Amino acid sequence: MRTRSAFDWVSLAASHAVLLVCTAVFVLPIAFMVVASFKPDDLVLREAGSWRALFPTEMSFQNYFNVFDRVNFGRFFVNSVLITGSIVVGGLLVNSMAAYAFSRMRWRGRDFCFGLVLALLILPFEAIAVPLFYQMIEFGWRNSYRVQIVPFIANAFSIYLFYSFFLQIPKEMEEAAAMDGAGAWRTFFTLIIPLAKPAFATVAILTFLMHWGNYLWPLMVVDHETYRPLPVAIAEFQTLPPIQWGDIMAFGVMMILPVLAVFLIFQKGFVRGVASSGIKS
Amino acid sequence: MKRISRSGSFDGLFFAAPAILGLFLFVAVPFGIAIVLSFTNLRMGSPLETRFVGWEQYLRVLGDEAFRRALFNNAVFALVVVPVQTALALGLALLLNRQLRGRVIFRTLFFMPVVFPMALVAVVWKLLLAPGSEGLVNGLLESLTLGAWTPRDFLRDPWLALPSIMVMSIWQGVGFQMVIMLAGRQGVPEQLYEAASVEGAGPWRQFLHVTLPQMKNTIFFVVVVTTILAFRLFDQVDILTKGGPRLATTTVMYETVRTTFAEARVARAAAMTVIFFLIVVVLAFLQRKLLREEREVS
Amino acid sequence: MKAFVPVRETNRTFLVGRLLLPAGAGLLFLLSACGQPERLAYDDEGRKRVEIWVHSGQVGERETIREQVEAFNEGQDAIRVTKTMIPEGDYNARVQAAALSGDLPDLLEFDGPFLYNYVWQGHLMPIDDLLSEEVRRDLLQSILEQGTYDGELYAVGVFDSGLGLYADRRGLEAVGARVPSGVDDAWSVEEFEAILAELFEASGGDPNLDLKVNYTGEWYCYAFSPILQSAGADLIDRETYATAEGVLNGPDAVRAMTHLQSWFQYGYVHPNIDDAAFVGREAVLSWSGHWDYDRYANALGEDLLVLPLPDFGEGSRTGQGSWTWGITRHAHHPEAAMRFLEFLLEPGEVLRMTEANGAVPARRAAIEQSGGFAEDGPLRLFVEQLETSAVPRPRTPAYPVITSVFESGFQDIRDGAEVKEVLDRMVRVIDQDIEDNRGYPRR
Repeated sequence: MRTRSAFDWVSLAASHAVLLVCTAVFVLPIAFMVVASFKPDDLVLREAGSWRALFPTEMSFQNYFNVFDRVNFGRFFVNSVLITGSIVVGGLLVNSMAAYAFSRMRWRGRDFCFGLVLALLILPFEAIAVPLFYQMIEFGWRNSYRVQIVPFIANAFSIYLFYSFFLQIPKEMEEAAAMDGAGAWRTFFTLIIPLAKPAFATVAILTFLMHWGNYLWPLMVVDHETYRPLPVAIAEFQTLPPIQWGDIMAFGVMMILPVLAVFLIFQKGFVRGVASSGIKS
Repeated sequence: MKRISRSGSFDGLFFAAPAILGLFLFVAVPFGIAIVLSFTNLRMGSPLETRFVGWEQYLRVLGDEAFRRALFNNAVFALVVVPVQTALALGLALLLNRQLRGRVIFRTLFFMPVVFPMALVAVVWKLLLAPGSEGLVNGLLESLTLGAWTPRDFLRDPWLALPSIMVMSIWQGVGFQMVIMLAGRQGVPEQLYEAASVEGAGPWRQFLHVTLPQMKNTIFFVVVVTTILAFRLFDQVDILTKGGPRLATTTVMYETVRTTFAEARVARAAAMTVIFFLIVVVLAFLQRKLLREEREVS
Repeated sequence: MKAFVPVRETNRTFLVGRLLLPAGAGLLFLLSACGQPERLAYDDEGRKRVEIWVHSGQVGERETIREQVEAFNEGQDAIRVTKTMIPEGDYNARVQAAALSGDLPDLLEFDGPFLYNYVWQGHLMPIDDLLSEEVRRDLLQSILEQGTYDGELYAVGVFDSGLGLYADRRGLEAVGARVPSGVDDAWSVEEFEAILAELFEASGGDPNLDLKVNYTGEWYCYAFSPILQSAGADLIDRETYATAEGVLNGPDAVRAMTHLQSWFQYGYVHPNIDDAAFVGREAVLSWSGHWDYDRYANALGEDLLVLPLPDFGEGSRTGQGSWTWGITRHAHHPEAAMRFLEFLLEPGEVLRMTEANGAVPARRAAIEQSGGFAEDGPLRLFVEQLETSAVPRPRTPAYPVITSVFESGFQDIRDGAEVKEVLDRMVRVIDQDIEDNRGYPRR
């Protein structure tokens, strides 16, 4: 018995030690960014190599004012929110409807279509980025919001997640609704959607995580500031002369802060959402 | 057996139509375009007429040193990052599954980088990895090794550039996998561990004979996702190294985008796209086959 | 498993009428509304719209062009100029994509040597008949040459460029280096390397040479092809523009690029990740252009020297050519675009810009009025270079490939690749491109 508990104690301490080291690794870059964002520019690099990098030796909000002075940060932020928001909302509607049609309705060509969707599951967007780029040129869609939204709404993975969730909903409930004379339309919106709230939350969070950081696509299809989202904006800001690392870090903090806040508030939802993306397979 | 057949053929089609149309228009059509274009000599903006050139683009792409190096780099990235990241995610998940104080806080902290856009991660790490004594990583290594470490220019060192990108990719992504693993671990019935314990199995044997087999599907899912992720590598490379030094960090996606966007050689890029697609299909096929065999065994 | 169940075909017409038709109509509307966006020719108040694209350069340049657009819009009622800032890094790529999708602005700023490619592709219109004779006569010869292709003028710039070696007088004095007085007595490359070695020693092994390796894009070809020419090599055979063989990979080119490589290998070159190596007085020498003059002069004051690039054997050479303005074929009102361009070319406006970026004014009238470029001005060297030692970049539609190949070749050489091999590869890519485009036939 004694050896056992000693072992437990040691392993518990070891676990905590490992966790603390990991925490340092995960937190260090973030702490560095936040601290640097408050430092005068010349100090950022001078202190970046020592322990001073992690302590606010001199603090001011000057870098934050500089960002607003130098670029249209608000616009980039609104763009990102608008684009990601539209993809999420549009995607929830379109993909849940499709999943419902695949899981609960009978129609000609259903199995064939669903087979195609399954085949597209593994295809990453990158595999078609180049021809899609060319296609968007032909459509005349470059430099717009829609070029950053419309192609991403329909998503095979979202359809698949909804599909597996809908399969778990007991059929009896729908049959009861059908008895009451509800059509597919009404059944879906008044019965299925409320029942499938967790699925909607999961898909919303995954879609958000997938598209909030989009960089490659807007890099190719957006020239104008007007439609530029945050990831491209920060990549361009870090090469915009004069290069001031304090400003760049302030840009970074402002770009991530609202998302971090949302994440911390809804973190249970985030974790559950991500977790359930794996269990289904 | 009563089926819900009231909703007729058109309802179903109508419900599915927007998604099918979207997938058709923005996935299937461009892919078709890629195949057609890959057999031409199309260049954006060229006033010369476009001609069919047969397999010429494929031959050139496959003979191109940069593209072959890109394939190699992607493979190396996958071979290192997939096992490391999966093992790390599993390890962290198992640690967090113990009844430790503050595990929610740890989980939150480990997951935090996941909400960071990769572009931002790259920009922050560019400064962390700064050469000379200006970089935090160099400074840290110097003090940890009591000065034995000589500062390196990580992103311009042919041996360190790709590993640097691997490390930051794992930093950003591992939290995601960890959460999936954690859920998978929590899905394992505790009775199995109790039974193993009664039979005298220690922690290591419990891990080998209960945890691993029970979490097989979860682990498999994580491996698939991470492998495909490895072949999508682009943002970090574009922001940090532009494929250098001397092709050490170039990737299939980076080469493809550069060829399209900077060089306007759309046909050549289309051939690269088709090759990329074939790789993904082969990977998926192999993994699916492996999974099926595994399932038959168990 | 999922057996196909025949569908009852009741309610068909009902469904078609109530759901499918409106849905289809909505979808069609959505798609058609998403078609080619029409660029507006007039604004809400009936003024002619002129869209311009500007590269987002240094702070001073960005501010100046913003003020100039405002001043122009306020100064008259018929034309409304709207500007878009485009990052310098992949400027050409964006022009190419925009040209295809019909997004090009009316008046396009672009880096001079890309002109021949844009004209070949048919994006620009000749401006001979639009530009007034008075302005044309006052422009620098180098500006007109850069803007002319096949005997027609397509673009004019507000300024030409100056490229040189900025030096910190204090640092040079510390090692007792000779200070050249002009292009003719530029340092030879051996002398330059001896100074680098002494500086390196004096600083205890810290890098002293800033080559602006933090830049991306056009910088490399602009700033480092002069060392090829100074060594007797070049980027391409300028007689035929048909091949780079023997020119870009000949012994002279190998020698020049090997010198360059050695500076990296000895650790002389500052990584300059915050673009402050020189103003922070870490670097003693900065290989840079006119755009840094203001910043450097502010930081170093009397200690700032502007020197010619080192001589690799055939005399010091330097770059020329800079951002220039052309009217695109899509322009709704070419004459309105030209009115704005002529506004930018008014001597006062030219000076406003060149005072902000330190470039050589494109108009003689402006040069005379400027302090910096006058006989004893600190920037006199840049004018002297334009008259004697500046080499224009190759006038060929293949230029975008040449510069892109040069940039990646430079990086390979920087990272220690075998110089001859890199140059051979560059030649292969350039020659392949020319062949693929059937020698870029003129129309």
